[in-house]
Amino acid sequence: MGSMIYKNKKPLLIFLIPAFAFMVVFLYYPFFLNIWNSFHVIKGLGQSAKGWNDPWYSNYLKIFTDPKMRTAMVNTLWMMLATLIGQVGIALLLAMMVDNIKRGAKLFRVLYFLPIVISATALALLFNLIFLYDTGMLNQIRMAFGANELLDFKKGSLAVLTMIIPVTWQYVGFYFIILVTGLNNISPDIYEAASIDGATKLQRVRFITLPLLHNVICTCITLAITGALKVFDLPYTMFPNGMPNNKTWLTGTYMYYQTISTKDVDYGSAIALVIVVLGVVLSQIANHALKEKDY
Amino acid sequence: MKRKGLALTMAMAMGVSMLAGCGSTPADATTAAPATSPKTEAATTKAGNDSTTEAPTEGQTSALTPVKLSVFSTYAGNDANARLFQDAYKAWEKKTGSTVYDSSAISDETVKARVTADFESGAEPDVLMYFTGADADSFLDKLVPVSEIQKAYPEYASNMDMTKVPASSDGNHYGVPVNGYWEGLFVNTKLLKDAGVDVPDENTTWEEFIKDCETLKEKGITPISASLATEIHYWFEFCIFNHRDVQTQNVIPSPDNKDDYLPLVEGITDMKEMYEKGLFPENTLSMDGKEAKQLFIDGKAAFYCDGNWAAQSIFEGAENPEDFTVTYVPGEGNRKSTDIIAGMSSGYMITRKAWEDPEIREAAVDFVMSMTTDDVVAKFAGVSTDALKTPAKIDKSQYNALQLSGKDMASKATGLALALQDGIPTEARVPVFDNMAAIVSGEVTPEEAVVEMLTLVAESKTE
Amino acid sequence: MEKVKTKRRFSPWMVLVYALLSAWAVTTLYPLLWVLMNSFKLRGRIVSNSFSLPVGDLFTLDNYTKAFSKLNVWGAYRNSLVISISVVVVVILLAGLCAYALVRYQFKGKAFLQSLVIAAMMFPVFSTIIPVFRMMLSWKIVNTDSLWLSLLSTALPQIAGNLSFAIVVLSGYIRSLPIDLEEAAYLEGCSVFQIFFKVVVPLTKPSFATVGIFCFLWSYNDLFTQMFTLRNSDQWAITRLLNEISSQEGTDYGLLAAAVTIVIVPVIIIYFCLQKYIIKGMTAGAIKG
Repeated sequence: MGSMIYKNKKPLLIFLIPAFAFMVVFLYYPFFLNIWNSFHVIKGLGQSAKGWNDPWYSNYLKIFTDPKMRTAMVNTLWMMLATLIGQVGIALLLAMMVDNIKRGAKLFRVLYFLPIVISATALALLFNLIFLYDTGMLNQIRMAFGANELLDFKKGSLAVLTMIIPVTWQYVGFYFIILVTGLNNISPDIYEAASIDGATKLQRVRFITLPLLHNVICTCITLAITGALKVFDLPYTMFPNGMPNNKTWLTGTYMYYQTISTKDVDYGSAIALVIVVLGVVLSQIANHALKEKDY
Repeated sequence: MKRKGLALTMAMAMGVSMLAGCGSTPADATTAAPATSPKTEAATTKAGNDSTTEAPTEGQTSALTPVKLSVFSTYAGNDANARLFQDAYKAWEKKTGSTVYDSSAISDETVKARVTADFESGAEPDVLMYFTGADADSFLDKLVPVSEIQKAYPEYASNMDMTKVPASSDGNHYGVPVNGYWEGLFVNTKLLKDAGVDVPDENTTWEEFIKDCETLKEKGITPISASLATEIHYWFEFCIFNHRDVQTQNVIPSPDNKDDYLPLVEGITDMKEMYEKGLFPENTLSMDGKEAKQLFIDGKAAFYCDGNWAAQSIFEGAENPEDFTVTYVPGEGNRKSTDIIAGMSSGYMITRKAWEDPEIREAAVDFVMSMTTDDVVAKFAGVSTDALKTPAKIDKSQYNALQLSGKDMASKATGLALALQDGIPTEARVPVFDNMAAIVSGEVTPEEAVVEMLTLVAESKTE
Repeated sequence: MEKVKTKRRFSPWMVLVYALLSAWAVTTLYPLLWVLMNSFKLRGRIVSNSFSLPVGDLFTLDNYTKAFSKLNVWGAYRNSLVISISVVVVVILLAGLCAYALVRYQFKGKAFLQSLVIAAMMFPVFSTIIPVFRMMLSWKIVNTDSLWLSLLSTALPQIAGNLSFAIVVLSGYIRSLPIDLEEAAYLEGCSVFQIFFKVVVPLTKPSFATVGIFCFLWSYNDLFTQMFTLRNSDQWAITRLLNEISSQEGTDYGLLAAAVTIVIVPVIIIYFCLQKYIIKGMTAGAIKG
């Protein structure tokens, strides 16, 4: 881009400084401060640090021994798996189907994307009503079909599933839209050529659609992994205090709980750092794994 | 417009306070007091001497400089007292021309964290109506003791019998109490009758109560509605109370002395047994406190333990309110059934910040005094308790049957003990309060949880 | 492709496809209709009969009367709009300028700055909120009684959080613009800023619209930041208010349904009016990101 206009670099500062100032002050500086905080004793949001932790990395030891943190990590990994398989998977199926139809494609796009624009808090209340023990939508349906006992969707063995389903459901549309656009970019000629060569529908999917969507799917996977780490509003509203029996913690909700309820601000900071590290590491691993795979 | 007005008021306040700041000593403030606020004098004399009182004189303006007073209280939301509180401070605003900035919120963990953070960051309100127990421990040094205020304003809290009020952990009184609380057992009499079980009374023992619960359970009725996920503290109190007595209930034991803390372990073990016997709702681990209350209101459980504040919503929410009553939580050991958890655990406090600003100080003192006159207290205390020297006259027509039956229950109590949890800082409650599900399902023993909680309490004390 | 499709139009395969697609569409739409329906019923009726239409005896407006009388819904709407609109305006402006410079200028450290932008997308708000909150405490803009300061304190972290996404999306669009137009304007004597505002912005308007809409939605729906920064009831934005309703009136299901409806209706209206931009921007942002 060798245009004359952009040889004079002076305006550059005016263009760049405001945005980067914002990011430095509200993202980078706090991020590094957060790391520093996680090594110090801070017992209240408004309190200054009372010296180093003993030993200074004690919060990180605690992360590996704290059973609730383990639950939070395991649940977050489940959430990730659900986003990967559930969200991206369902979205891929829906996208390929929508790509095959003539009428109504636009309507489906609009409807599928709808849940994403609604606040997760509102959706959490909605799902509380749906899963309500006595008696929400699902239990009413079950009763209508002859069930005798109410089913507690929030009990220990079902709680994590009850938490994951709404989150998964909400974001299917997000990946759907991304994938459907990716599909639109594949030229119809390729399919035509393939069908002339006698490829079956499944073969076309396996040898044309998936390889050509590879990059888009990689993007989706990165988004799904980082997205799963950011889930907060919905579980926070539906499952206060990790209810039942500390089974539904996620890294995000547990971090808030440690910071606010137990006033262990430095431990909350350490958890926050772990969230970032997890996101970076896992999305790198996923991308590497996918890149090496040869279609 | 509003902003401008506000800025103007602030500028005025600042100007005045700077002037006053020149020679500001406590003595100065006292001498200034009569000059600036004859109304204060009048109001307090009235409150102090003539407790039966006339209604506050309408339309009379005070000579106080109008200020903006920031006030926090736990009177918020649907609480009947929230409405009373707003009415009362609006009357004060009208009287003085000052404005109240009301940041009240129903207390929960987030709100408590917020109040603490406010103090830590110097953003505390001028006056707060808050808990005087462990919740205030971290900022006692930023509050003004009642005795110090009384040196400058002898009428302050003079209508209160402060011996009825527990002191904060440093031995001082900071809050001027308004209403106390009691905790009791709400009963659905119809369910009991249908199942052929008698309503527990002052003679019912814990053993009989548990037997009754089992009978109910056999007949397919959920005996006790309670959430073990979010609001366990009512049963926590009474189960432990059953292994202690009125004198010792609110003493925090040391985590190192097993004999000391054993009653807590035994109490929590009782809760575990109740859970194992299936006396709580099917989904007690996955419901919150609100749902538990609703279950009881809907007539789907026989017993429910809560405080005086629940009497109104249960009565108003129930289809047949006459089916409900309040009684004592049955006792055992040294605790008589009629020994209840009750007392004064909160009060109006003035912050050091407000106290050091002469303008705000005047207003804050006047505000607290007008919020704690015998009249106002009578309204708030209603069916709970108060600390007035001359007991409040209650207008019974104002209250529903359930509230009155609670009042009756509380007034016939043989012993009052403060809640044990009031002495435990919020963050230290976690091992027991947030882990109840783990305790009842056997993942953590009651002893481990108790020791962990007490260790946290001890740590918070040494800080 | 077209031929293939026409041939298969009535095949059982197509019926299955439409059935599956419609089934998913039902899951996205029905819960919203269900909650709307139940917002016109009293609590008791919802738990016994949540599927019938709220007509005749079932119908009531009580929930809405209660919601509007008890809760400061309008105030919360105003707060939400103030916060979200400021976020949108600032993000669009700053991100636009920044993206433009990052695309068009060649300079040392450009790659570094670009990776800074991408990395910033990885920080969840959890990892920055505590220091940000403490920093704003020291500036005295949170935990104050001032409505405007607390709205500002909500907007600031949200602006920072949305900037990197906006820069990435806008860079993609600006990069695809042919540079000739800018050069023509330059020859006519326009300064760089004039070029930006008179050439670049008008040409990339749809992408600005998309970014704006997304920032709006994320800001409007962001409970986490609001939990930290909005403390008094007069400062609550609509999501915070909703959270409060659920924690105080959690068992008044009629009121809850009404509150949920009140919160989501404006969003849905905006969505249906602007869905073209939303979906377009989403795809652009995600793929290029």
